[in-house]
Amino acid sequence: MNAIEVSNLTFSYDGQVDVIKDISFSIEKGNYVTIVGHNGSGKSTVAKLLIGLLEAKNGKVVIMGQELNEKNVYDIRSNVGIVFQNPDNQFIGSTVADDIAFGLENHCIPQEDMQTIIEDVASRVNMQDFLNSEPTRLSGGQKQRVAIAGILAMEPDIIIFDESTSMLDPQGKASINRQIQKLHDEKNITILSITHDMEEVAQSEHVIVLNKGRIAMEGSPKDIFKEEKKLKEMKLELPFALEFSKKCKEEGLIKEEVCTLEEVVEQLCQLKSIS
Amino acid sequence: MNNFALGRYLPLDSVVHKMDPRSKIMIMLFMMISVFVPAGVYGYAIIALFVILALVLSKLSIGYALKAMKPMLFMMGFLFVINLLVIKTGTPLIKIGWFSIYSDAIYQTLYVVVRLLFMVVITTILTATTKPLDLTLGIEKLLKPFEKIGIPAHIIAMMISIALRFIPTLIEETQRIMNAQASRGVDLENGTLKEKISALLSLIVPLFVSAFERADQLANAMEARGYNPNKTRTRYKVLKMQAIDYVAMLISVLVMAACFGIWLYV
Amino acid sequence: MSIEIHQLEHTYNAGTSFAHAALKGIDLTIPEGKVTAIIGQTGSGKSTLVQHLNGLLIPTAGSLEVCGFHIQPLLKIKDVKKLRKEVGLVFQFPEYQLFEETIEKDIAFGPKNFGVSEQEANALVKKILPLVGLDESFLVRSPFELSGGQKRRVAIAGILILDPKVLVLDEPAAGLDPQGAKEMMSLFMRLNREEGKTVLLVSHDMEHVMKYCDHVIVLDHGKVLHESDVATFFEHPEWMVNIGINPPGIIRLKLELRKKGFTIPDEILDADSLLECIKGQVKNHE
Repeated sequence: MNAIEVSNLTFSYDGQVDVIKDISFSIEKGNYVTIVGHNGSGKSTVAKLLIGLLEAKNGKVVIMGQELNEKNVYDIRSNVGIVFQNPDNQFIGSTVADDIAFGLENHCIPQEDMQTIIEDVASRVNMQDFLNSEPTRLSGGQKQRVAIAGILAMEPDIIIFDESTSMLDPQGKASINRQIQKLHDEKNITILSITHDMEEVAQSEHVIVLNKGRIAMEGSPKDIFKEEKKLKEMKLELPFALEFSKKCKEEGLIKEEVCTLEEVVEQLCQLKSIS
Repeated sequence: MNNFALGRYLPLDSVVHKMDPRSKIMIMLFMMISVFVPAGVYGYAIIALFVILALVLSKLSIGYALKAMKPMLFMMGFLFVINLLVIKTGTPLIKIGWFSIYSDAIYQTLYVVVRLLFMVVITTILTATTKPLDLTLGIEKLLKPFEKIGIPAHIIAMMISIALRFIPTLIEETQRIMNAQASRGVDLENGTLKEKISALLSLIVPLFVSAFERADQLANAMEARGYNPNKTRTRYKVLKMQAIDYVAMLISVLVMAACFGIWLYV
Repeated sequence: MSIEIHQLEHTYNAGTSFAHAALKGIDLTIPEGKVTAIIGQTGSGKSTLVQHLNGLLIPTAGSLEVCGFHIQPLLKIKDVKKLRKEVGLVFQFPEYQLFEETIEKDIAFGPKNFGVSEQEANALVKKILPLVGLDESFLVRSPFELSGGQKRRVAIAGILILDPKVLVLDEPAAGLDPQGAKEMMSLFMRLNREEGKTVLLVSHDMEHVMKYCDHVIVLDHGKVLHESDVATFFEHPEWMVNIGINPPGIIRLKLELRKKGFTIPDEILDADSLLECIKGQVKNHE
């Protein structure tokens, strides 16, 4: 079953220029998919269309078999969580616990159940010791983890990350990327991450490349990274590990190009043990 | 800005901190009414007793409460000068040339100062012992009965709590923009009026632009998490009245009654 | 003229219960005409330090020499205002400082604050625009209708127009896509190479530090933890991880390979020489 199905989606902010032009894609349940594209390629607009924050001019969005419309938009939002870019502007509660509770309150979860849920999801993102902390005392990475906890509390089928790491320092970025990987390993959540961090793209299963509001390429990270020239034209870069493994291949050290540092190291080690 | 005591929550462990925000808000209302009843020295003595008791029970120092008065000092001084110039009744106390100070001017000023002092201290006790969110929750619950006549209690409370949540963020933002413009040569302290206006604009415009952007993103985040102002919501925090809440409210009602009694019958 | 910092200390809210020592006895020389990186975690004192360089903050103890200005405690803003023309400070997300109706007016705002006539200022704007990659058609447009990257260019032009000798940049590439970041960094490199400006780069991005900087300063809890040229800095990568710096890809690869028993000398810092080095170790035995 597909978690997300998008067909012939078109969107325009001003009614004249289409920023999303007739795109179609589907994401299988439990998959980890990244959408890449340079700034202004329309990738964040797609995220907003998927949860009905924007209304498409044309085409349809189907979430877990349900076509998104005005009537079911609130039900769908309880099933699709989204972590936005700016950690400050999505922290609504005055403390961590209050912020996690916000979604639960909106979806009328009984008050008696809240405390257990809050403690549980806070510990899943390793924020259990900060339940009473105010947002001004938290780092950007911690605030994003609280945002993830608030979403996990709703037990969604799908989580969308909309450039959630682009305003974070390297440590915050790494902690969120680890968190995403962990959620993916737990298998039952479909992850759609909008990013321009090529290292994160390399850790995903499937990549959609957006350019000027259209899907320019789609496939596994390896397939995408093969099109080096095309990526450069779309102002995208290759991850360092891939660049290096290309060099290794040219020198005849390894047969297959790889995308992550771990894989490069692994391949070189095999070579060492053979020799 | 950090030295601002007025309106700030002070996390201490006291009985007053643990009280229900609804009762604290009601008590504040009763006390404010009492302060405005012209019950003379006796009335103020009773109120003072109550306020001192509240201060002690909430573990706040009197010094802290007085610190909250600081922003008012200028206003009081101003008032004093105006009263000296305007009020010409009562007995003349001091005569300097053509200018004399009358006793009523002193009394009037003292009267206003004492009222202001009480109001600030009472508000400070409330805000210092009650988390902003609890305060909004309290206001929301107290306004609930008025929802029937069209007062949107929940929306008002949500607006207040979001405003409170973003005050520190906006202060930080203001500081950042001030620094950025200062780096472009803006000088808020020196310069002609025209220069000062343009300097002020260079702060206000970016602050508004970013505040609107924040508001937009915040609205998206709230909607994405299923917020709908017209739908009922459950609440995470529940308020519970305890014995002390009833006792304290009773005492404050007695204080109010005493003030009215003194005014009307003594 | 280099920047000399002697025993610089800065305590916020000194004398109150909120007192917080952000800088504790900083001694530094920032070389002239070079690109210097300032690295440190959030709260290490980086932004407090750079705000001293153009007199936004005045030390609470110690002193600094910047562009012929001697800055010491108790100076007034008036005394250091001219320094702000010599040291251009570009804050993080500078696009948030735009406020005028047109781009021309916004860029000309700085010089006018320093007493340059409107005509002269507008002439300067025309000169500076191409430097940040914008053409004259932008002059009459509103800064608020631009894309994020273009806004940032306008904001940076608003500082460059003051022709500062020293340029301090706080995360200038934050939030840009890789291509935008690259263009931004090469702009600053050009200013350094062609116009001899001293550049200070506050950055978390070690790839940028490695690629663009000559000199590195690491701050930690308000103190200088490390100061050296960039090669020396990256030659000893093991401690980097310990203080929470995420090393560039090449360094991470080097560290991983070392763990697996490869012998890789410290001075290897680029992909080609690393490849040569590995080649020797796997092919010799074939």
